[in-house]
Amino acid sequence: MAEVLLRDVVKTYGPFRAVDNVSLKIEDGEFVALVGPSGCGKTTTLNLVAGLIPISGGDIYIGDRLVNDLDPKDRDIAMVFQNYALYPNKTVAKNLAFPLQMRKLPREEIERKVAEAAKVLDITHLLERKPRELSGGQQQRVALGRALVRDPRAFLMDEPLSNLDAKLRVQMRSELKRFHQDLEATVIYVTHDQLEAVTMADKMAVMSGGVLQQYDAPAEVFARPRNMFVASFVGSPAMSLVPLEAAGSGDGVRLVSGDGWSLELSPENARKAKRASSPSVVLGARHSTLRVHKSAVPGAVPGKVYIVEPTGDITFAQIYLGKSIVVVSLEPHVAIAPDEPVWVEFDQTRIHLFDGATQQALTLD
Amino acid sequence: MSAAGADAVGGRKVDGWRWAGRIFILLLSIFAVLPMVWMVLTSIKTQFAALQYPPEWWPKNPTLDQYTTLLNPTSDVGREFLGYLWNSIWVCTVTTILGVVVAVPAAYAFSRFRFPGRAWMFYAVLLRNMFPAVVFLMPLFILMRYLHLVNTGWSLVLTYLTFGLPLSIWLLKGFYDNIPPQLEQAARIDGATRFKAFILIVMPLSSPGIIATAIYSFIISWNEYVYAVTFLNDQDKLTLPVGLQRFFTEYTTNWPGLMAASFIMSVPVVVMFLILQKYFVRALTEGAVKH
Repeated sequence: MAEVLLRDVVKTYGPFRAVDNVSLKIEDGEFVALVGPSGCGKTTTLNLVAGLIPISGGDIYIGDRLVNDLDPKDRDIAMVFQNYALYPNKTVAKNLAFPLQMRKLPREEIERKVAEAAKVLDITHLLERKPRELSGGQQQRVALGRALVRDPRAFLMDEPLSNLDAKLRVQMRSELKRFHQDLEATVIYVTHDQLEAVTMADKMAVMSGGVLQQYDAPAEVFARPRNMFVASFVGSPAMSLVPLEAAGSGDGVRLVSGDGWSLELSPENARKAKRASSPSVVLGARHSTLRVHKSAVPGAVPGKVYIVEPTGDITFAQIYLGKSIVVVSLEPHVAIAPDEPVWVEFDQTRIHLFDGATQQALTLD
Repeated sequence: MSAAGADAVGGRKVDGWRWAGRIFILLLSIFAVLPMVWMVLTSIKTQFAALQYPPEWWPKNPTLDQYTTLLNPTSDVGREFLGYLWNSIWVCTVTTILGVVVAVPAAYAFSRFRFPGRAWMFYAVLLRNMFPAVVFLMPLFILMRYLHLVNTGWSLVLTYLTFGLPLSIWLLKGFYDNIPPQLEQAARIDGATRFKAFILIVMPLSSPGIIATAIYSFIISWNEYVYAVTFLNDQDKLTLPVGLQRFFTEYTTNWPGLMAASFIMSVPVVVMFLILQKYFVRALTEGAVKH
């Protein structure tokens, strides 16, 4: 296994910058998830690391080798594709053996390694079958087997779970995580599902529009999103964002809504709000930090219930604060009905403030 | 009640159309098959029986004499016929092999690579097929004269390639479009060069397409008449369609002989088509629908 280093990596298609100055350091044995909506450049980045498309600028190192101009076969990596890309005319055993044959290993060693990988993945009984005779989950295992059969420097995975049904996806997610822990493998994992990234990765790289937005441990990304895009992308349901106007009154700052309500900020938050480049400030709050009252409470702002979504152990409610919607979570036994007037209380120690003009998080450091 | 009644009427209407369709298909089949049946029947009649009127529907004294004469290299007729047959096989085989050798990489390139001029080149290969063959008869003849190829099999090989290749490329491109590029990417990551990935992974998967394309180009060359009759003069160079035409004029009275020759000429085409029609149909429909 080896570390992977991307330095100012650029990929352009004509005037379009698909990957725009991305720098990432993936430590040896680390599991890094590249996340973002479709078209954000995450798969392009992965293909650049794999060498499947030529790089336009910057450097990529695998281990201590500069691999910019190396063929995929010389980069010593393994890749798992979204559609598995199993060779349809070969049996499972031959699929697993292919990377070893390409490296001209002796026959007995190939047989031993294939048997070993099949045992680890519990697919020994499938070895003589063709890929089309397998279920989605089994195909997924074979694809994984073909990747790990030859002990590469890094594993690249391109949405490997997104073709599986929901239940199998959760199961394979744990298996992948376990597999990473056991092998101490360097993994770069592309997904559009932030939940996969949060649950599996040591670090997540959030991308949008070809630009790396934030690269941190999932907990850190969750707790301190660097900008509004990251805030709204990570977490389910997404963080509620309410655009407001800051109005100063001495040391204090009030956030005023165009809909007639306002919120007095705590001294710490007031200092943050004063750093905004314009009066436009966006208030962000996760559903679990909001409290809902059925009668007016000092500091709480008035709203009206829009939708109630019971999920079993938690009930989510969408509430209109004027024209903005916020999502709150409630205990399932709380009786709440659409169109009911409620008061929403923000926890000032856990709210996020963003500069409405630059969309960047407002912090004190 | 009324709804049920409407249903019944609707049902009868659909049935009516279905029967009309069946009858149409039946008539069409008879129209297509009858001449062939007649050809085979006539070829095993005696010469006298073939000219009888009213016709002898079923041969009373079936004989394979015509076939043995045609396929007998020691007789004059047999030598001539086998010569035509050999010329046809030679021209069509060379055309087919060259066609596949060129069409496979060309179609693969059109399917996989983005290069300047790709779109217009792709349509340009079809340009040749938008005009009737006769339009190119004189230009190609003059060209062949410059190349000193008139009256050789190579003039036909080159000509057949000009219209066989574009269609082969189109047919094969549809096939390659349906092979996910991830398979080659996987192979390249697994340690294959681009060329090896093509040979080891893509070629086996596209073999039905290649087979279909080969048959297709063989059949159109096998049946071609206009160019063959223009480019070839020497009797010993003629291909079967032209040779058969000479039979018509030389042996007008020997209908069973002509029919036997026609039947032998159709055998390779029919056999190939029957054995490989599975691939053929797949090649023509694959690429039409995204899976």
